[in-house]
Amino acid sequence: MAVKKIKTVYDVVCPFCGTLCDDLEVDVADNKIIEVRNGCQIGTKKFFASNPSEHRYEKPLIKVKGSFKEASWDEAIDKAADILVKAKRPLLYGFSSTECDAQSKGVELAEILGGILDNTASVCHGPTILAEQDVGVPTSTLGEYKNRADLVIFWGCNPVHAHPRHLSRYSEFVRGYFRKDGRNDRFIVVIDPRNTHTAQIADLFIQVNPSEDYELLNAIRAILRGVELDEKEISGVSMESIKELADKAKSCNFGVIFFGMGLTQSLAHHRNIDAAICLTRELNDHTKFLITPMRGHYNVTGANQVFTWNTGYPYSIDFSRGYPRYNPGEFSSVELLLKDQIDASLMISSDPASNFPAASVKNMFKHPLIVIEPHQTPTSENADIILPPAYAGIECEGTAYRMDSVPLRLRKVKDAPKGILTDKEILEKLIEKVKEKKGE
Amino acid sequence: MSLENLILLTGRTINQGVALEGGKTTKENVRAAAICTFDTEDFKKLDIIPGTPVKVSTDFGEVIVYSTISEEGPHPGIIFIPMGPWANQVVNPDSQSCGTPTYKGMKAKVQVIKDGKVLDALELIKTLIEV
Ligand code: SF4
Repeated sequence: MAVKKIKTVYDVVCPFCGTLCDDLEVDVADNKIIEVRNGCQIGTKKFFASNPSEHRYEKPLIKVKGSFKEASWDEAIDKAADILVKAKRPLLYGFSSTECDAQSKGVELAEILGGILDNTASVCHGPTILAEQDVGVPTSTLGEYKNRADLVIFWGCNPVHAHPRHLSRYSEFVRGYFRKDGRNDRFIVVIDPRNTHTAQIADLFIQVNPSEDYELLNAIRAILRGVELDEKEISGVSMESIKELADKAKSCNFGVIFFGMGLTQSLAHHRNIDAAICLTRELNDHTKFLITPMRGHYNVTGANQVFTWNTGYPYSIDFSRGYPRYNPGEFSSVELLLKDQIDASLMISSDPASNFPAASVKNMFKHPLIVIEPHQTPTSENADIILPPAYAGIECEGTAYRMDSVPLRLRKVKDAPKGILTDKEILEKLIEKVKEKKGE
Repeated sequence: MSLENLILLTGRTINQGVALEGGKTTKENVRAAAICTFDTEDFKKLDIIPGTPVKVSTDFGEVIVYSTISEEGPHPGIIFIPMGPWANQVVNPDSQSCGTPTYKGMKAKVQVIKDGKVLDALELIKTLIEV
């Protein structure tokens, strides 16, 4: 029996979540992933999902009379370009699960089309960006937290589930230069309406009423300023607990707040983040304190960076007047879809049918839909054209930005299925075809 | 049996994350995300066994999902559906003009529907497509 030759690739960057772990080891044989070490459950699954399966697309597909038929790249790109050129207000959305060069091509295509350009920040940490634009942000890289933080507050985030290795690499269990004893050298606080798995291993769990974080944030700010609040509890939290938390925050050496969608997706949205940033800034009157958002998709931070250095704005950008305009309340994908203000869409490595509120999904399906997507999703299965790409970070290289805006180089561990292009190559072909059709 | 005046939260879970990758159209995704978790005491009031279908309704829609007991309780009065197409039938699409929908904190009620059918992701999304 022939022995399979196993190739091991070291220091692989995991292209799933914003933690962007860069220490994975991946074994490949016969161009298939056979083992992944160091990855968490989700990251590991992503590598295996890139192996050939019935869920993976390996040829461009065009919907003809309700069912998909295989097409050549030329035919599929031509049809896709037709749809985009004919549309008055095409939406280009997604981008967080691909690498920066592809994102940059997306910007170029949106500009040529005079369309809308948006990334997934518009449904997750968009409010964080709005708040940072309003009040700035005292922040740092994850390495600093690892080496220095002795007080870590997780507010409205649940890394045990959403960023599984964050705790062991940067924020909780890890040993750091000044935190030699790891977990024992840190005091961990979780603030959440649910007693999450992250809360269950914390030193202090503060159960806040849902959607009342804003009041709690401002109560802590008031107490820090020496104001006596004439209340027994605020947002369901006793005044003693709030004071205990304020004391802990003042007396630590180096504190950090990590926050998630518990703050950005509840009613107060960016006002929550505004208050959390202001609280962090005010804590610097007493000690060192910083704040970092727990960004979800592995390169959503990169999408914001790339869009910003190309257009000046991080997401929800409208090119219809020939120059970029930014107004998330007007141009975010969900807002546009709710008002039925687009007439075609191109979704890049994203599944809005699953991730957008139902009312907006309904309107998305009223118009032609093109997806660049490697595997079956509820969006792709109902699309008009499927352009299957290689997995960035597994089947091609590229750059991605970690949640703390540190860029890391993604590795290629195996080849894409034969004939499959990268996201960047697909977008380049679309740009070329669109230019040709527009006579440019 | 039913419960009123609940607050619905949505969010990531590790099972939902694992099911995302390459298996969005599979039963694995249904098991991971077509569920509603209840506080233990709230669940007792429903007088059902875990896995019984329930209809979750908010001002924005309704969806039938499998009931289950929360591992992340106690959280009386709060129910949780992992992020995904099922949760998105009942979230508040309004962003108060900031662009980001309000995925958390909807007022909800729950009704036990013993023979209710929980749709898979593709069936569910098909219901949104006008023909
Ligand atoms: S924590 Fe995130 S980046 Fe790290 S292995 Fe898991 S999914 Fe990948």
